[in-house]
Amino acid sequence: MLQTLFNGFVTGITMTLPALAVTLLFGVLKFANFAIGAMMTVAAYMAFALNAQLGWPLLPSTIVVAIVCGLLCIAVDVVTFKPLRDRGSITLMVASLGLGFVLENIARLFYGNSARSFAIEIARPFRVMDIRMNKEQMITIVVSTVAMLAMYFLLTRTPVGRAMRAVADNPSLALVRGIESGRIIRWTWFIAGVLLAVGGVLIGMDRAIEPPMGSSYLIAVFAAAIFGGLGSPLGAFLGALAIGIVSEMATLVIPPNYRIGIPLCVIALVLIFRPQGLMGQAHIRR
Amino acid sequence: MISFIILMSIVICFSAVLALALNFQWGSGGMVNFGLAGFYALGAYACALLMLKGGFNTFFATLGAMAIVAVACGLVAIVTLRVTEEDYFAIVTLGVGEMLRLVALNEDWLTKGALGLSGIERPFNDWVAPTSYSYVMLGFCALMVAATVWFLNKLARSPFGRVVRAVREDDVVAATLGKHVLWARIRIFAIGGALIGLAGSLHAFYYQYIDPTQFSNIVIAYAFMAVIAGGRGAYLGTILGASIVMVLLEGSRFAKDLIPSLSSDQLAAIRIIIIGVGLIALLIYRPQGFLREYRLQANLSGSKQQSP
Amino acid sequence: MKKFTRRDVLRTLGAAAATPLSAPFLNLAHAQGANIPIGVALPMTGNAGAYGPDMGEAARRTADLINKAGGILGGRKLELFIEDSESSASVAANLTQKFINVHKAQSLVGYWGTPEGMSSRPIAIQNKVVLMVSSAANAITEGDTQGYIWRFQMRATDWGIVISRAAERLGFKSVGVMGLQNAFVLPIMKVFEERMQAAGRKVVDSLVYNPEQPSYRAEVQRVFGKKPEAVFCFGLLPDFVSIMREVYRGGFDSKVVSLSIAADAEGKFIQGVGAQAAEGIRHFQPMPDVAAPGYKRFLKLMGAPADRIFLFPPNTHDQIAITALAMEKAKSPMAADWSKQIMAVGNGPGEQVDDIVEALKMVRAGKNVNFQGAGSTCDFTASGDQLGRGMGQWVIQGGKQVFVEYAKP
Repeated sequence: MLQTLFNGFVTGITMTLPALAVTLLFGVLKFANFAIGAMMTVAAYMAFALNAQLGWPLLPSTIVVAIVCGLLCIAVDVVTFKPLRDRGSITLMVASLGLGFVLENIARLFYGNSARSFAIEIARPFRVMDIRMNKEQMITIVVSTVAMLAMYFLLTRTPVGRAMRAVADNPSLALVRGIESGRIIRWTWFIAGVLLAVGGVLIGMDRAIEPPMGSSYLIAVFAAAIFGGLGSPLGAFLGALAIGIVSEMATLVIPPNYRIGIPLCVIALVLIFRPQGLMGQAHIRR
Repeated sequence: MISFIILMSIVICFSAVLALALNFQWGSGGMVNFGLAGFYALGAYACALLMLKGGFNTFFATLGAMAIVAVACGLVAIVTLRVTEEDYFAIVTLGVGEMLRLVALNEDWLTKGALGLSGIERPFNDWVAPTSYSYVMLGFCALMVAATVWFLNKLARSPFGRVVRAVREDDVVAATLGKHVLWARIRIFAIGGALIGLAGSLHAFYYQYIDPTQFSNIVIAYAFMAVIAGGRGAYLGTILGASIVMVLLEGSRFAKDLIPSLSSDQLAAIRIIIIGVGLIALLIYRPQGFLREYRLQANLSGSKQQSP
Repeated sequence: MKKFTRRDVLRTLGAAAATPLSAPFLNLAHAQGANIPIGVALPMTGNAGAYGPDMGEAARRTADLINKAGGILGGRKLELFIEDSESSASVAANLTQKFINVHKAQSLVGYWGTPEGMSSRPIAIQNKVVLMVSSAANAITEGDTQGYIWRFQMRATDWGIVISRAAERLGFKSVGVMGLQNAFVLPIMKVFEERMQAAGRKVVDSLVYNPEQPSYRAEVQRVFGKKPEAVFCFGLLPDFVSIMREVYRGGFDSKVVSLSIAADAEGKFIQGVGAQAAEGIRHFQPMPDVAAPGYKRFLKLMGAPADRIFLFPPNTHDQIAITALAMEKAKSPMAADWSKQIMAVGNGPGEQVDDIVEALKMVRAGKNVNFQGAGSTCDFTASGDQLGRGMGQWVIQGGKQVFVEYAKP
């Protein structure tokens, strides 16, 4: 029971970074990005290439991949999303779906379908109050928490972060105040890319690296972001934890192969009863 | 060769019905459906099960499948009750589609799970000799495509068709004009659902065997590609789009004989990359597709003065 | 009368439409007339993508061997059309249509997975073409196959029997069972659990999981948490890698038993989880009798070292060989004729031969043969199931696969 609770906590915290990325992208760009799963997969494979194939330690690999991914996201935005920016969120979503297929299959093109792992020794667990924990889980918890705090600092204490929040709140007003939206959008993509890359590596540490690894998290991550209120970073963090814990605890009562139904039910309930989510602000569109 | 072309044409036909359904939901109604693969599976399974377990004939099984998918889609549309943003709806459809596929995979007692359902009966099977059956099947599928296009065009010209487009363009305005937006959305999604049910039934008739692996997410990429290539809201164009996608897919199989250096593993990946890149490129460079949507031809000379 | 007219009209229309289109292909079809086309559908991609290439090589070398020795039916050559089934049902069904309609194949071989076999089965029966599968699920040969469906693999139920017998001998008192939601895994699980219970062993838990799940933590926690002596995990490579990482890092110490397609997968498993987490895992796989002369001959054909264990390519070799033999025996390339000779050349009675060239010569000379294949003895039941194939058992020790034993059901 306690063990399941802890497992759920770990599952949840693994999802916090992608959930943050989703909510950040949505906040500034106003569309749900369905390519985030594939972006994480690509990042994990890039880290795999540096770590397992070139023999770098995982930490520097991750840092390099995070920066590369951030830049790649900016490039992807310029090529794919920028020309479509004023066509409405549906077009952007469909483009992101297409992008997801492209990215996942680029990984497949180079690495095939078989399962791979980082070149790290996996270790036996240690016990705290009879709960089994392991090193990777500790790393995940620490990294995610640090990333969350860094995000909080970035959004509240830096000019870029404040500008991002301004654009998220009201793009036209931000423009009036002289905030250049192009620069803010580039920053947003960069940060999202970094979050997704680190998230992808953390997921790759948790399970096997294979092409569908990122997209298998898609629904749960969206559920976390919606539950927390799309656009709210703190909400995304709490939402991810809640979704992780609830779906893991639910396996005590429902067959585990229907776990995916839990985030789905959460989305439906939130949309019907509290559309603004946990931390989001109620707003009227237009 | 000729019989192979006939069989491919049948595949194009039921893919076209599926793409038409998506074109109505998304192209005309502005309700994006990322759970298409799951609803498609629901249609195929409903049709097959109504025949295998319910003892219905092919005609009523098809109608039943259409009704079931329509109801399922209608129920999903209800989540837009309070939140009308397309993003939320897209995520919900993705989740529901995934869930439907899981049910097909896991409920052995009903769907036989991963083993799949075999021995699915075909329409008009006893009319003709098995050797010439594919002609009948093609004729039937082509008729269904024609009927679907006719129906959707009819619908586009009806008052409801105008409501559909109004909801897509601006639901707030539509609501202000006294249109019941939620009810319109439910109907849009349900009508599309009925067509997905039809496509699923045709799929089941053609393969005579269905299993969960046939309804992977790739189906979604193909259908979106077909709709975008053909032009959103342009129903005839969708048929063209579906043909292009199929020719691209099957053609790449023949192409492998020409470029043996590529492994099939890579070829399969490249095929999907091409579809994805094509999808994005079309969205950017040719958003209207190859054919145009039906537009009410207003008397421009009269209305011009009113515009500022 | 009316019915007849309509069909007639359709046929005329079809023929009219066909003429201009098929003109370029007519010559091709004519040139191929002397060759005997065989459709080979192999998993080059998808979850079984690792096995396709070697199977294709085996098919190619076998056909070359037969062709170099003069072909069959008075000098006609075998022509292979090797295609990727993508481990997918609908792709395989489309391929089967293409093999039959474009290439005019009367023999379809390969078909590794159950989805491929199940989706192609009705097409083969309808067109009266022989389909030789390598898949295990019982359902493939169930029902009325009209003698067109032949399995070159052990039936899933038989896998369960062999594995449960081994489990009894290993003395596990309590076991947990996990299985991938998959058509050939479920019959294995069912038989295995029945047999374990009949032997008085306790099955503490049994669950089925989906492919491509984000994580398998809950499943592992549920089954391993009940601390059975051993957990039998029947899956494929990607899910099994994730599961074993979870088991090792979760600190569970039940013994793990699996299938080689998951726990070996041509070395990819140990590469995936590392030697430590893989230590002590036992795994089973239907395999050829490596001591049999037919298998040794096959290794030479493939140019492989004497200790190499090919799991599936020998089946592909046998499928081509049996096709050639049965055609020669029936003196016809049409499946409706030669499908009836499959048991005659496979089961005998007749002289036991393991060399396909030799066997063809004898058949041509009017002698009876009992062909002994590379993957099995090529004996069949009337319903199309293969007999005479056994399972190998391995255990992973120090990052190496150590062969334990070979057993038949």
